[in-house]
Amino acid sequence: MSRLAALLLLLGLAATSLPGCASVRPWEREILSRRDMAWEPDALEAQRRNHIYFSKEAALAGGGGGGGGCGCN
Amino acid sequence: MSRLCLRSIPRALLIASLAGTLWLGPDGAAALQSGDAAPSFSAPTLQGRSLSLESFRGKVVFLDFWASWCAPCATSLPLLDALRNEFGPDDFQVLAVNVDRDPDKATDFLTKRPVGYPSVSDPEGELPVRFGVQTMPTSFLIDREGVIRYVQRGFRKGDEDALRARIRELVARGR
Repeated sequence: MSRLAALLLLLGLAATSLPGCASVRPWEREILSRRDMAWEPDALEAQRRNHIYFSKEAALAGGGGGGGGCGCN
Repeated sequence: MSRLCLRSIPRALLIASLAGTLWLGPDGAAALQSGDAAPSFSAPTLQGRSLSLESFRGKVVFLDFWASWCAPCATSLPLLDALRNEFGPDDFQVLAVNVDRDPDKATDFLTKRPVGYPSVSDPEGELPVRFGVQTMPTSFLIDREGVIRYVQRGFRKGDEDALRARIRELVARGR
């Protein structure tokens, strides 16, 4: 890719991504505060799923806590 | 265009975009702090009559920014109403500023959880900009002379005890 093409690509990326920057002020968070906008809308369900995940996979990264994969911790 | 100039464009773009992000990040208005004079304002209540902060001069005022979608507000509103009843309307008054885009949602909220103090409606969010609200809810405890004496950011059950002590101190000062 030529230098000019790379530059144009960068300009294009900047032109498309910069308008995406917008600050949502605290009193404008009505839609963001909706339950269905939450990363994990149901905390209990998320915890349950996470628990099954790290029990089955013996993977502790996201779930934290110790255990040998028995699902009993 | 020289080669050097061409090379500097990506760097300039990167710096410009970072600066733009930082510029857009925090809100322009400075947050009002304890010791600042509370800006005077007049706004329509949810019922439509005009109400000004000035009309409460001489009383200790708790100016509370709230919204129907704000979960801690559901906790704070009844507790503020209880504080208002405790100190009496001659010494202490709560003035709420509702920032719902749709004031009907605030009216519905207050129908389910009625309070005795007035709420002015500011759907365009002009007052939170003037007061520099940084989180929801934010409240300003204003003394009898119109000076902000305490800023309450957020609200948790139990916060009313510390608030009561501050109000008591301010109420006693003017007697």
